[in-house]
Amino acid sequence: MNPRTRHALEFALDNLVWFMLVFVLVVFSIFIPNYFQLGIFANIVEASSVLGVMSIGLALVIITGHMDLSVESVAALSAMAVGILFCSAGIGLGVQLHPEWLMVPVSLLLALVVGGIIGVINGYLVVKVKMSAFIITLASYIWVRGLVLVISGGRSAQDLAPAIRWFGIQRLLGLPLTAWIAISCFVVFSLIMAKTPFGRHLVMIGGNETATFRAGIRVNRNLVIAFVLAGTIAGLAGWLLAIRTSGATANLGVGLLFNAFAAVVIGGVSLKGGVGTLPGVYAGVLLLSAINTAINLMGLPANFTQVIHGLLVLAAVLLDAFKQTIRQRLA
Amino acid sequence: MNEPLLVLDNVTKNYGAIEALKGISFSIGKGEVVALLGDNGAGKSTLVKIIAGGLEPTSGRMLFEGKEFLAKSPAEAKAAGIETVYQDLSLCTNVDVVANFFMGREITRKFLGVPVLDEPAMEQVVKAALASAGTRIPSLRTNVEHLSGGQRQAIELNRFVHFGGKLVLLDEPFAALGVEQTRRGLDMIRQVASQGIGVVIITHIMQQAFQVADRIVVIRQGVVAGDVARNKTSPDAVINMITGETLAGAGPAG
Repeated sequence: MNPRTRHALEFALDNLVWFMLVFVLVVFSIFIPNYFQLGIFANIVEASSVLGVMSIGLALVIITGHMDLSVESVAALSAMAVGILFCSAGIGLGVQLHPEWLMVPVSLLLALVVGGIIGVINGYLVVKVKMSAFIITLASYIWVRGLVLVISGGRSAQDLAPAIRWFGIQRLLGLPLTAWIAISCFVVFSLIMAKTPFGRHLVMIGGNETATFRAGIRVNRNLVIAFVLAGTIAGLAGWLLAIRTSGATANLGVGLLFNAFAAVVIGGVSLKGGVGTLPGVYAGVLLLSAINTAINLMGLPANFTQVIHGLLVLAAVLLDAFKQTIRQRLA
Repeated sequence: MNEPLLVLDNVTKNYGAIEALKGISFSIGKGEVVALLGDNGAGKSTLVKIIAGGLEPTSGRMLFEGKEFLAKSPAEAKAAGIETVYQDLSLCTNVDVVANFFMGREITRKFLGVPVLDEPAMEQVVKAALASAGTRIPSLRTNVEHLSGGQRQAIELNRFVHFGGKLVLLDEPFAALGVEQTRRGLDMIRQVASQGIGVVIITHIMQQAFQVADRIVVIRQGVVAGDVARNKTSPDAVINMITGETLAGAGPAG
């Protein structure tokens, strides 16, 4: 095989999810009436902001060769914390700050810190107690959600302060600011992963932890940072979620974890670690969102979404195996 | 070798009730090549890991450049100037040749205060290092998983030659190499030693030990069974030390 075909093939394999996204969009545009509209496409991007942000954190940890199942519950806890403080109805305390815009940084900081704390706990247990990240974060997934129930008493907070809501309403180039926040997160973290020593180290730790340790990379430190980042990013997702729903309920975001998981796997991140890029994950998120939108437009019962997502994950894993076979032939 | 670079003084290592090292004492001088020989399970790899910071000794002490030395992590050993090439390769196959070469000490430049990988600079260094060692790898941007065992080992060997340090530990570095590459590897070791760097090489192949080493240290059942200058011994004598048939020719320990 000459180098050029080989490069072309590798390029295709690396960016498969983008081709799938384009393919799906084209097919839907042709066969589903009213799909081909700017408004629909904007809606696809908008609807994927929370999931997108959450997937970044999950992807970081999986690329490092570990797992974080707690991101969904962490987002819910952050959203509930913001909801209780800054909502004026339900269990909301309706805290007012002057000037009003001050509520934006304070609520954001609160959400990030809540997420970061859970991340520290996860990271510490994984690194120091050396337990499997799967089990530790599964436990976090359960107890953090439990904490949401405890602090909310199972009730909900409504009517988020308008100054914070503003991010969900104000539009720039047809997209709400929340969507731009998600997009900029992808840009920033993609750059971190691809261009900085820290990102490079995470990928290498996911590839061969022993080798990186021997090479003098501070593996434990990097792992803890990865978990803290995942928690903090999940906190941001919770903040966006609170804005999107203008409050928080005790069961906010249930099921998001599995969608994030699907997006990450479809986006080409290998569960074995060390393989995958964040732009791919974003394409995975958009792909899921595009399919959801199609299901809505076709008037299918929403329950079908879950079946289709499940099949997509299955397809993605099969595809991953298939890609590896092709790569071995290429080698 | 007038100045000892590294001195091991009665270093032991227990795994539970098992004594892997019962008290090892020897020294390595600047610019000296020491071949560490011994049967499987004699404790050679354990010893290398202790010097390189991968394991902590149970007791005993080490002096590095005359100062008390104990590396708690490979990072500390590296900072002190000790490079290690392990028997099972220490490469990340999921990234490319350049990333592996610079693993843990990437060249960066600041962009808005953030360290950013300087890929062109790193690629140039790797290209030059591999070319001077006569290693041919089609593309430095291919992931290491696509490379042969020999090419992988060449990356590791060139890495230690490039970064140098003060002491190099090689744990069976030529296991996957061809004849020509092994010869180059041995040349590399001599070249490194001539710069005043101490080299410890673990090998199973007597011929290699005699080709490259100044001194031969034999470990048997966790103790030093022989410590002799290469030109004062013979392969047969060394084999006897390894198998324990005789202690003839064994020098003083330490």
